[in-house]
Amino acid sequence: MALQSPHIRAACVEATEFMDLTRKYRVTGVPKTIVNGTGEILGAVPEDMFVRSVVNG
Amino acid sequence: MALLSEQDRQAVRTRLAELTHRVTLLFFTQTIGGPETGHITKQILSELAELSDKITIEEVNFILDQDRAASYGVDKIPAIAVLKNGEDTRIRFFGAPSGYEFMSLIEAILLAGGDDSGLKLESKELLATVTTPIDLQVFVTPT
Repeated sequence: MALQSPHIRAACVEATEFMDLTRKYRVTGVPKTIVNGTGEILGAVPEDMFVRSVVNG
Repeated sequence: MALLSEQDRQAVRTRLAELTHRVTLLFFTQTIGGPETGHITKQILSELAELSDKITIEEVNFILDQDRAASYGVDKIPAIAVLKNGEDTRIRFFGAPSGYEFMSLIEAILLAGGDDSGLKLESKELLATVTTPIDLQVFVTPT
């Protein structure tokens, strides 16, 4: 998605190495995606659903 | 000792043969007092660079080159920024890309070094409507 849109930044964060972030975003299962610091997408959801969640909030 | 088995090396080398663009991995770390995972990351990246002449690793000192780290939005290490032909792809990896994450890094390199994002047409159309910054952090674990 970052390759497709110049407005999107995508970071893969290894949860066990950055426990402060893991706690901050209450990561109890992976993958968990945090959108703009607030939105949450849980699990490996299908592409259509994922893109819609990210774009439409 | 090598982290990648000969079998892994062959499989990855075959995949990386698809690369059509140069991919640079900016590796942010610190040499003194850095996290243990920084050393693992360094070894993984050096083994990876041997598998394709399209891949370049550039090490950046997180402490001494803070401005560069900040310009790439790197606020923690170890970190990897993926560049395509020297241009930022806005793809980052924080933490050692070992285990399952190694394959995620390979996928990111293949996407960055190819000509297509791999997304469906509908996704591309929807993403074309984005006009404000979106920041994604995907939390993962190595296994």
